[in-house]
Amino acid sequence: MIFVAPWLLAGLAALPLVWWLLRVTPPAPKSESFPAIRFLLGLNATEETPARTPWWLMALRLLTAALAIVALARPVLDAGTALTGKGPVLLVLDNGWAAADGWVRRTDAAGALLDRVERANRKAALLLTAQDGSGAPIRVSATMPVADLRARLVALQPQPWPSDRDASADAIAGWHDRQGASALYVPDGLTDGDGIDRFANAMRSVGPVTEVCCDIASATLLLPPVSEADRLIARVALVPRAVAAHVGVLAQSGDGRTLARTEIAIPAGAGEASGPILLPPELRNRLTRLVLEGPPGAGSVVLLDERWRRRPVGLLSGDLATADTPFTGSIYFLKRALQPFTELRQGDAATLLKRDISVLILADRPLTAGPERDALQAWVRKGGLLIRFAGPRTAEAAANDTDTMLPVKLLAGDRQLGGAMSWSKPVGLAPFAAGSPFAGLAVPAEVKVTRQVLAEPAADLASRTTAALEDGTPLVTEVPDGAGRVVLFHVTANADWSSLPMSGLFVDMLRRLVDLSVGVASPPGSSMLAPVETMDGFGTLGQPPPAAVGLRADTFASTPVSPHHPPGLYGPENGRQVLNLAARIAEPQAAPPIAGATLETSRGSSRERALGAPLLALAFVLLCVDMVLSLGLRGLLRSRVAAMVALLLLTTTASRALEASPSPATDTRLGYIVSGDSTVDNIAKAGLEGLSEFVNRRTAATLFEPDAVTPGETDLSLYPLLYWPIAADAPDLTPAQIAALNDYMSRGGIVLIDTRDSGSGAGFAPGTEEALQRIGRALNIPPLAPLTSEHVLARSFYLLSDFPGRFTGGTVWVQRDQDRANDSVSPAIVGGNDWAAAWAIGPDGDNPYAVLPGGQRQRLLAYRFGLNLVMYALTGNYKGDQVHVPAILQRLGQ
Amino acid sequence: MTQTPADTLAAEALGARLPPLLVAAGRVASTVAQGVHGRRRVGQGDSFWQFRRFVTGDPLSRIDWRQSAKSGRDAPDGWFIRETEWEAAQTVCLWRDASASMRWRSRGVPVEKRDRANLLLLSLASLLLRGGERIIMMQEDARPVTNRSGLERLAAVLDSGFGTDGLPGNVRLPRHGTAVLFSDFLTPLDDIQALIAGFAAVPVTGYLMQILDPAETDLPYRGRVRFRGLESEREAMIPRVESVRSAYAERLKAHQDSIAAICSAAGFGFGVHRTDHPPETALLTLYQALTAR
Repeated sequence: MIFVAPWLLAGLAALPLVWWLLRVTPPAPKSESFPAIRFLLGLNATEETPARTPWWLMALRLLTAALAIVALARPVLDAGTALTGKGPVLLVLDNGWAAADGWVRRTDAAGALLDRVERANRKAALLLTAQDGSGAPIRVSATMPVADLRARLVALQPQPWPSDRDASADAIAGWHDRQGASALYVPDGLTDGDGIDRFANAMRSVGPVTEVCCDIASATLLLPPVSEADRLIARVALVPRAVAAHVGVLAQSGDGRTLARTEIAIPAGAGEASGPILLPPELRNRLTRLVLEGPPGAGSVVLLDERWRRRPVGLLSGDLATADTPFTGSIYFLKRALQPFTELRQGDAATLLKRDISVLILADRPLTAGPERDALQAWVRKGGLLIRFAGPRTAEAAANDTDTMLPVKLLAGDRQLGGAMSWSKPVGLAPFAAGSPFAGLAVPAEVKVTRQVLAEPAADLASRTTAALEDGTPLVTEVPDGAGRVVLFHVTANADWSSLPMSGLFVDMLRRLVDLSVGVASPPGSSMLAPVETMDGFGTLGQPPPAAVGLRADTFASTPVSPHHPPGLYGPENGRQVLNLAARIAEPQAAPPIAGATLETSRGSSRERALGAPLLALAFVLLCVDMVLSLGLRGLLRSRVAAMVALLLLTTTASRALEASPSPATDTRLGYIVSGDSTVDNIAKAGLEGLSEFVNRRTAATLFEPDAVTPGETDLSLYPLLYWPIAADAPDLTPAQIAALNDYMSRGGIVLIDTRDSGSGAGFAPGTEEALQRIGRALNIPPLAPLTSEHVLARSFYLLSDFPGRFTGGTVWVQRDQDRANDSVSPAIVGGNDWAAAWAIGPDGDNPYAVLPGGQRQRLLAYRFGLNLVMYALTGNYKGDQVHVPAILQRLGQ
Repeated sequence: MTQTPADTLAAEALGARLPPLLVAAGRVASTVAQGVHGRRRVGQGDSFWQFRRFVTGDPLSRIDWRQSAKSGRDAPDGWFIRETEWEAAQTVCLWRDASASMRWRSRGVPVEKRDRANLLLLSLASLLLRGGERIIMMQEDARPVTNRSGLERLAAVLDSGFGTDGLPGNVRLPRHGTAVLFSDFLTPLDDIQALIAGFAAVPVTGYLMQILDPAETDLPYRGRVRFRGLESEREAMIPRVESVRSAYAERLKAHQDSIAAICSAAGFGFGVHRTDHPPETALLTLYQALTAR
């Protein structure tokens, strides 16, 4: 502990003077009115009056004075060591994506450093190593007093792109205010590129460096997942650590629900790890993002777009009997090529078109006039993608002019290249033109075409050709038809006519084609996609920063994120593409501490605590006590004054409204059944406190502090309503507990059973429904029916139509109306909306648990449902007549 | 009897305030046995006293014909006159002090001295009226009250600033009447002497009831206290009240003894009542003192 103004402690020397003054000055006399004063006049006491201040009062006053003096000397607890140097201080703060994890600790550490700078009466300048959203170049701020800088520090946010070491080094080199300067560095722990050495040298050139180091784990980066046949492989990259760890990855849909969660085990020393996310294709196509559990950050969110969606693809062969024959069947290669990234379906055309399907592939199946062609034509015009492969049958049909669903008109017969009786040689593929959907794919030299169908030359043949052979004859042609398109491969889908199906190119070409499907016309590569929503440093989507500009569609794969291209969603609604931070970022590498720097832990530089204000407050409290005592000594402390003072003191200390009362028999209160999981129990307690306060505020009912109850031990009959959160690992009920609960419910008690796992919160508490089934089997719960707005519970105080808690949408179950036992009051209400979490209030009166999908309205409705529930428990079916009002009115009308 | 609307309104307002006081007075009075009636002689009255033979000169209207018929003798020997007991009412003058010193109570005592004085006065009046006496308030031009319905009028008088000017002045009192005064009698002895002397000259006898707060008799304060009087006396700064308690008690005792001596010399009675004691005892004392006269 140090004193900022130690000379003020000299005031302590004046304390004996205070003591002497207090001794000399007697306390003021009490004042009394008295009618018989006539007899008192002239009466003089024979003994001398000891009109002294009592010693304890004197001690109290001396203590007050001493406290005030010490407080004014401004003591500081946990003061850090003084910084070296005398001149300005350069505070360098990494605010790239990796700093989002532990951002508060980083800024706190920076604030603690600034405290020491301020105490030394030095000025400071700030350098942020990542550009801000305006795209302005990195610069050192003006040197300013610490108070001004602190205001800026509070407003800082991490950025969703990496720190720029080279630019930062340049900025430091351009800072000239170096007379006696020293540098403070709060790093994010990553190299963030190659310039770290230059950066470190630039820092050292400023002066002595103090680095907050080594006790904040560097961030984990979530990489874009890899699509596999039936799963997504989530991947994380991180600085290798000495101990094994686990991270959870949540797969979320657009409305914020978590559809799946996977745990990735990170072995010790590994820099990358992965884990599968298993989901049925329909659900998987609804995923919009993967989120790393833990502190939010741009590095722990990966946005998903169409590229990760699996599309249903139908396969239809001309020769059904031999279609699947290994190596020679017409769809054998197609199946293997498409399996990893699509959902394959087989069957006849009518069956396939019954379900939604994105792509239909016909392997050498001519489409002659008939119902099948009409159905396919209608489907294509609505947006389907029809891929056709040529073959002997197609060639024959083309010769007869009976197949018209082709991009180009075919010449009769086919063209043979190479072979024993031919001079010509098999032909390879020409590189793909820029406008082709296959643009950018490498053409392997070993792909040769030996036989193909030929297109009839026409004016628009070139524009319809998307892939051609070296000699210029079309290999793949396509034509839009309505909202969809028809693509023709001029070769077969097996290896009879070419070696294309056996090459990796075949897979890539099919993938490109499938990506075009579902009406998602791939934006032309040259089109600019404007940023729609971009992430901030904490991974939250929002308005793009001012510097954000559009991005060419074909450069998404090669563009690193920057203020101009922040990670986020780009392009129009139907062709949205995502730019992910992790897609174009170097492997995270741990940055070594700057050589020669003084290292400090962020905990060591924990915020200094100034004791002046608390001491002064204590002195003030003692002064109040002294005033009360003096009033008492002078007889002025009437009961009313005392009550006022006591009230004043009480209001400052006890602001909580709910009273604790030892006896549940005399006061109404809610109870929750102890689930055994302390987290769940704490939420239940906080929730019932919040609900009780809400009920006290809104109604004439007075509820006291809720109780934890254990069936079989606590007397349940004293509680009108029991809240029972189910934990997944809840132990089975003992016979005594079952008997107690059954007895409670049969005598009019109400139990609200909450699995905390339904509606928008499905998956939050896995296993609770099974636990409820396991536990609840022995309970006498009557037949249940869904709770509707016609039920008394929906009208016992507020008129409600849904019953959300923290989650919404889950069905709530109550006793069927037909049961007349207990006056139709349902003994059990079963749901999974996690009501307690919605009702819960923290110690400072806020709501610690966010509602899903969110909004104050949902919170209010949750409270209203709770209030209705309490009213229902307290008044039974009293409001039940309200339900019958329409019927009664109708009867009266007759 | 004509009354202005304002008078009526005031009476109503008074009536609204009065009942608890009257009821309390009636309750206290009813606990004391009543019957200060007859003069044990023949005279004007309602109750039967004796039959006597008719003598010439008696008015015929006073003959009790039933008794005469029962005697069976001839007239005028058999005629009987019905005589009633003489019930002459005594006039009692009442006064109570309402000065500032009476409007005081110490901490922990529920009533002020003046309220207790009012209660005693009204309950004594109730008692006297039930006994058929005449009550007159000790002030100029006071009208006597003879029946119980006049109790409200007494209350109105009490409420109208009666007795706020210290001891009663020169009021003409009925001779051979009885005077009852309620006060704390913390006035100088000379004033009391002059007052009693004035009464004795009329002549009037009666009773002085000193009403004191327990704090005035016990002086329960402690420590350093500055005492302020209620009637613009000087202040008294007592450094240590405990030490003067006995001296104070002696002074008070001497004062009371002096009043008692003055009273007994003029045929007056003197009693002390503390406001923390029940009012019934004081009323009984008064009752006995008045009946013994």
